Amino acid sequence: MLSLPVLAQVVVNGVNLGAIYILMALGFTMIFGIMRIVNFAHGAFAMLGGFALYFLLMDAHVPFLLALPLGALLVGAGSLLAERFVLRHLYHNELQGMIATLGLSMVMIYLAAIVFGVSQRSVPAVYSEIFFFGPLVVPMDRLVVLGIAAVTLLLFFLFMRYTKPGLAMRVAAQDLEVAEAQGINAAAHYQAAFFIASSLAALAGGLIGQLYALSPFMGATPLMKSFIVVILGGLGSIPGAALGGLLLGMAESSLTTFFGASTAQLASFGIVMLVLVLRPQGLFGHAERDS
Amino acid sequence: MNKVAKLLAALATAALCLSPMPLLAKDLTIGAIGTLSGGATDWGVATQRGVQLAIDEVNAQGGLKIGGETYTPHLIIYDDQYTGQGGATAATRLVNADHAKFIIGPIGTPPTLAALAITTPAKVLMLDDGFSPKILGPKNTYNFRISATPQEFAPAMIGWLKKNYPKTKRVAIVDPNDSVGQQVMPILLKGYKADGFDVAFTEMYDRSTKDFTPLLTRMMANKIDVLDLSSSAPAEAGLLLKQARQVGFKGVIIQIGGPSVEENLAVAGPLAEDFISFDFFNPDNPLAKKFGDAYAKKYGSTMSSWCPVMYNAAKILFEAMHRANSIDVDAVKAELPKMTGYETIFGPLHWGGKETYGIDHQLLADIVIEQVKDGKIVRRDVVSMY
Repeated sequence: MLSLPVLAQVVVNGVNLGAIYILMALGFTMIFGIMRIVNFAHGAFAMLGGFALYFLLMDAHVPFLLALPLGALLVGAGSLLAERFVLRHLYHNELQGMIATLGLSMVMIYLAAIVFGVSQRSVPAVYSEIFFFGPLVVPMDRLVVLGIAAVTLLLFFLFMRYTKPGLAMRVAAQDLEVAEAQGINAAAHYQAAFFIASSLAALAGGLIGQLYALSPFMGATPLMKSFIVVILGGLGSIPGAALGGLLLGMAESSLTTFFGASTAQLASFGIVMLVLVLRPQGLFGHAERDS
Repeated sequence: MNKVAKLLAALATAALCLSPMPLLAKDLTIGAIGTLSGGATDWGVATQRGVQLAIDEVNAQGGLKIGGETYTPHLIIYDDQYTGQGGATAATRLVNADHAKFIIGPIGTPPTLAALAITTPAKVLMLDDGFSPKILGPKNTYNFRISATPQEFAPAMIGWLKKNYPKTKRVAIVDPNDSVGQQVMPILLKGYKADGFDVAFTEMYDRSTKDFTPLLTRMMANKIDVLDLSSSAPAEAGLLLKQARQVGFKGVIIQIGGPSVEENLAVAGPLAEDFISFDFFNPDNPLAKKFGDAYAKKYGSTMSSWCPVMYNAAKILFEAMHRANSIDVDAVKAELPKMTGYETIFGPLHWGGKETYGIDHQLLADIVIEQVKDGKIVRRDVVSMY
């Protein structure tokens, strides 16, 4: 088992897994970081992104590289309805926000079950080539996911770090009163943040739908992985989500390969428990201060 | 009375006169339990649709005419959430609130075992499915299993594999890590070993797993000839199939633990090529064709393999009522085992299981072995379980 080809394949698998986890976790950690809402509906927005891509590809015959961001933006725009009618009154209200998004998630999932049906379906593979580099096997669709995840992460980081809206969002996240005193329209920036986060979830959902399969219930596992990633990296931290996603992907890949799937599952949650005990704020998170 | 009112009255009278349903027909509750939420929702929808189609047929003919009465069956179905608790709650509601005497479903060991604990003491007849051997037994006389389990179909499938792929030797079995997988894995292990295969790799994964590439990388290191997806549900089996090809596995991929060719093809797409599994449903059977047409007309979408199974159960139940000329539970229950040879959509009805379970309440049928060729499902063979 401990041969070089197997080790290399473990790394390739781990990086691929990590890329998907990072994409999902980015929006999730952003909503918590800025609005202080643990968004249980994040997986449902990913599911909608998967279906949006499916219909754009299959019915509207939009090319994949256009359909993917277009679907994500459509879902992001639709998510503003949820922001307006469900979340707007719950900002910085973690418990109620959690319950409300849980309800929102159930409504979205079962509406999707009624509208789209419960059978699984597959987004036709746009990139079906499989590359063999010696003993290494790399499917093209995974390389595409890797590329899109890397570009998205970079753009997202640049936006938050170097643009005025990004700076305003970070200020509103750190101190709402100070932000408003500086003339920042916090409500508008919350809307923008929710739009971006939901679009990111939908983008991830489109890629997940193509790599795996589409169903109204497909968001549950990515949501659970997002939790693990942001707990590892620190709730609200973008570099934390990136590192957490990569760590989880590599851990799952290596543990499953060498010790089996059950051990990997157990270890994922074991690591989270350890992090929560030893460093509750995660690797890059900030400790909460008592007022 | 103005002209419009007169016209409406005339139409209403005509509708009543022309209705195939006699005015004094009595309601007959047919209970059903199925998974209507979560990843196995497909199965619950299949249950609902299959039973409803059988009820539609009966009602189109004016209802069930039994013992001088006419009965109009109607369906009440509850969600079991694919859990024991859900199965127990659904059975409790059907038995105590809806006073159902006949229940079709659930599918799956956890809800079925839990529902049986409610229906057996209440003397409610249940036609269900689940792989656990505990579901059937001499004490569960009010219970019939309406679909075969790996105990019945695995030896037939493995025998077929050996005959048609004689060069294959090393087998991998991948199962979900739950009560179903834990029960099916030993049956397949025994079956493969009995036929001279070497089971070189076994793995159990969590039901929520979507990415199997690490697991399959581990499998590839064991130089496997045959990958058996065993009892993996369509949600996972299709992904295992797709990802096995993506990691470069070139051997035989087969699923012996349960039928789901169409669902797996839908998920794996072109990478499902050469996949082998089976179905109980033989579209060449005229009754099966009629059912398939009725399904397509009413629902149109992809049909789960479980839908004809549940339709079949309802048809058998109605026929037993006819033969017993009664809707009394004990009379219907006594009639069911005598129905050997009754033509169903799966061929002639045959009950067995006495040797394995101590009671002949296990439905046995032919199985149709299918393979994906050029993106289409083709029939390779028909083998018998009895």
